[in-house]
Amino acid sequence: MTSPLSSVALFHLGPVPISEGVVATWAIMLVLILGGLLLGRRLSLVPSALQAFLELIVEAVDSQIRDTMRVEPGPYRAFIGTLFVFIFLANWTTLVPGVEPPTAHLETDAALALLVFLAVIWFGVRAGGARGYLASFASPNLVMVPLNIVESLTRSFSMMVRLFGNVMSGVFVAGIVLSLAGLLVPIPLMALDLLTGAVQAYIFAVLAMVFIAGVVEDAKRPADAAPERKLP
Amino acid sequence: MTIDWWTLGIQTINVAILVWLLGRFFWRPVAAMIEQRRNVAQTMLKEAEAGQNKAAAALTDIEKTRAGFSAERDAILAAARDEAAKAATSRLAEEATAAAGREAAARAAIAQDRADAEKAWARSAASLATDIAGRLAGRLDGTAVRAAFLDWLLQGIRALPETVRQAAAAEGAGLLATTATPLDPAEQDRCRALIGEAFGSAVEIAFKVDPALIAGFELSGPHLEVANSWRADLARIQKDLAHGD
Repeated sequence: MTSPLSSVALFHLGPVPISEGVVATWAIMLVLILGGLLLGRRLSLVPSALQAFLELIVEAVDSQIRDTMRVEPGPYRAFIGTLFVFIFLANWTTLVPGVEPPTAHLETDAALALLVFLAVIWFGVRAGGARGYLASFASPNLVMVPLNIVESLTRSFSMMVRLFGNVMSGVFVAGIVLSLAGLLVPIPLMALDLLTGAVQAYIFAVLAMVFIAGVVEDAKRPADAAPERKLP
Repeated sequence: MTIDWWTLGIQTINVAILVWLLGRFFWRPVAAMIEQRRNVAQTMLKEAEAGQNKAAAALTDIEKTRAGFSAERDAILAAARDEAAKAATSRLAEEATAAAGREAAARAAIAQDRADAEKAWARSAASLATDIAGRLAGRLDGTAVRAAFLDWLLQGIRALPETVRQAAAAEGAGLLATTATPLDPAEQDRCRALIGEAFGSAVEIAFKVDPALIAGFELSGPHLEVANSWRADLARIQKDLAHGD
């Protein structure tokens, strides 16, 4: 049994090793992009059952963004929605025999956390400019600047570790039980793993929304509130 | 535990590309479709509301028009009632006038018929009375009756104007004395003598018998006519009865 902490290269593209997680990610991307393209050409005012289901997903994402971020969902829909859908599908690839979820490898979770970290910066700058974004580190006052900087790093790290730990543990436990008990015994654990995967996808998306919303709100804060951030 | 930085970079790029592609080909079109459907629904709702308002306005117009029809119908009915009432009144007046005319004509006709009937009955009654009186007087004819009529004749002659009596006596023309019963010669002479005395001179008198006189003594001449008989009296009475009313 291969350690889930290691990333095994299936092949190399020049100096670049291509791991199983990357291939699985490409497969998920292919499914999502092709599905999006096919569906995008068939959109109509009178929706089919599939279109209605996908619109339900979009509406759910929009509603979640409105409830969590208190803003209109347009600028954040693609990022938050894609994160949720990708992590959800990646977590559920454990159903495919012989395929490990990409999120069970630390690199994929780190990539997702890195994207959230960059997205926080991007949306913060877009909301209040570079000055507004940097000023958000001084919230609520200048003393908090070092802590806020550390927090922005650690919260991304915690997101990575949380997702990795939950998904990897599920796969790891299922593998151990499968190797010890037999074919059908791990099924309840796999079902639990699916639930965990769905919940982790939701948690990851919600945390991304919370981080982005916090920075956007601080970056948009008017200048007259700035003195409150200064040291007394 | 190690991190494969190549894999980390590739996965970062993969997810970033996926975010961009899905945002372009899935999230944005689907959200646009939802928004379009929402707009279409709002447009349809607005159109439906406009249509509803339009229908309400049309309904109001129809109600007004219907109310106008009702008022116009009421006005027409009222005018028709007035016209009918006027026509009925006029017709009643005309019929009343015509009926009054017919009644007056009928009353006049009835009165005329009644008058004619009364006249006819009067004539019939007079004729009957005359017949009855003639028959009764026929039984009373006698000397006393003739003497009475002779006195009445003499009083009539004396009542004539003097010029008339003289003219009748001067002509010398014969007078005709008519009696209901024949007179014997002595009585004729006596009558001549009394009549001549009444005229004031002797006159020539011829005697004639006419039973139609019933009773009486009449004298006639070229310029003289003294009717002194029951026939003449009855005729006069009958004439008076006939013209009495």
